[in-house]
Amino acid sequence: MLQPDFMRQAFAVSFFIAVLCPCVGIFLVLRRYSMIGDTLSHASLAGVSVALTLGGVPIIGAFTVTAGCGALIEFMRERIKNAELVLTVVLALSVGVAVTLMSRGTMTRSAESFLFGSVLTITRADMFMTLGLCAAAILSLILFYDRLVFISYDEEAARIAGVRVRAYNYLFMILVAAAVSVSIRVVGVLVLSSMIALPVAAALQLGRGFRTTLLASVAFSLFDILGGLTASYYLDVAPGGFTAIVSVAVLFAVIAVKAVMKHARTRKISSVH
Amino acid sequence: MITAHDLWFSYDGGEPYVLRGVELHIPRGEYVSVVGDNGSGKSTLMRLALGLLKPARGTIECAADVTGYVPQRRAEQNAAFPLTVAEMLRSYARLRHIDKSRRSADTEASRVLELVGLSDKRGALVGELSGGQSQKMLIARALIGSPELLVFDEPSTGIDRASAEEIYALMRRLNRDDGVTIVSVEHNLAAAMANSTHIYHLSGGHGHICTPEQYAREFLGDSDVTA
Repeated sequence: MLQPDFMRQAFAVSFFIAVLCPCVGIFLVLRRYSMIGDTLSHASLAGVSVALTLGGVPIIGAFTVTAGCGALIEFMRERIKNAELVLTVVLALSVGVAVTLMSRGTMTRSAESFLFGSVLTITRADMFMTLGLCAAAILSLILFYDRLVFISYDEEAARIAGVRVRAYNYLFMILVAAAVSVSIRVVGVLVLSSMIALPVAAALQLGRGFRTTLLASVAFSLFDILGGLTASYYLDVAPGGFTAIVSVAVLFAVIAVKAVMKHARTRKISSVH
Repeated sequence: MITAHDLWFSYDGGEPYVLRGVELHIPRGEYVSVVGDNGSGKSTLMRLALGLLKPARGTIECAADVTGYVPQRRAEQNAAFPLTVAEMLRSYARLRHIDKSRRSADTEASRVLELVGLSDKRGALVGELSGGQSQKMLIARALIGSPELLVFDEPSTGIDRASAEEIYALMRRLNRDDGVTIVSVEHNLAAAMANSTHIYHLSGGHGHICTPEQYAREFLGDSDVTA
């Protein structure tokens, strides 16, 4: 399976995004912003369409437009106190741009592989760009870990401690943009938000502290994405779709195991009494 | 410790103003309870003092180098957040640059937990704590960095009477033994009368400071106040 060059590159890229997605996803889920992932993945499609129309590099186009849309969401969120409405506006703008450019037929190649995810189109340059963006994003997360945790937990307390909350909210949007733009190549726009939210949802079932939940999210994400990629190779299906199925299956499995363990504990306690 | 001069504030930038030319001076070492009807601007005044809001007109200054804030506890707030008490306090200690003063974040977390009597809960998730424990945890967080000023917003809201008593005892101890200035937005008039050195009464956008005895004579007709 690892013989073809494209599969080795696909595994390398998948490994990086499997680490990065839950690292930003945990903050999105805890701030109840899971749908931002969906909105920004559509923004990244607009970015890819712009890049392919202008003859540029798709990942750079995706990152630029996604970061811009992330900043726009943050800017509007401060003014319109309805986060859902803000996401709808940015989603409409992104889909509008993407569909308009695609329908003109002037793009240098099809954007379909970004919609569903494809390992065949990953180049060596994509791999290095993904590695660079992932490394920068993960380094930022490590450096600003406490600030991001506290802004998510209690924005007011963070402000009193002297954290420049607004600046970090913008920085966080750029991190989300990086995660989204490097991930669409493998998992595709349509299921990307599930890659960001589902491993975190599974880890949250464990009921542990932040660090453990984050590490468990990364472990679930690695299992989902690398497992999904392997299975998609043998089944000859798009990796994004199958990875989403694996993620949902893992989440249900964790919920089921948790329920069984709880039931067993309750029975043990009642038998003691 | 807190000084306000001709302080005006409105949430919409115009009428209606919540605060209309408030004058306030809270000296160092005092325990002041801020009382008034719902919507009279008590919490707003504290948020202005903490720099969380900006005045429409006038000034408000806080002279403390380190200020601790204990917000109004909401039972549903962040109940599902996967954060242990120790993780939260260590994180906050690092945000307040405790390391720079050579007191490690972990040591500081242990110190404040011991102060509020919550050492046995350091490994618990923040959402698993009872109302009283949760309030003590917020006080522990506010105590990080040894603040000179502690601002409370309704410290006994939503917690049982015994826990409220423990919390007021802790507030009194911090004020009397450690010299911490305490400003507390209060809906519990009995607690305000029993614990404070001064009462700041807000009404109609204006404030008035007096001793508990003066307050009893002026606003309560000297009647007994019970919780």
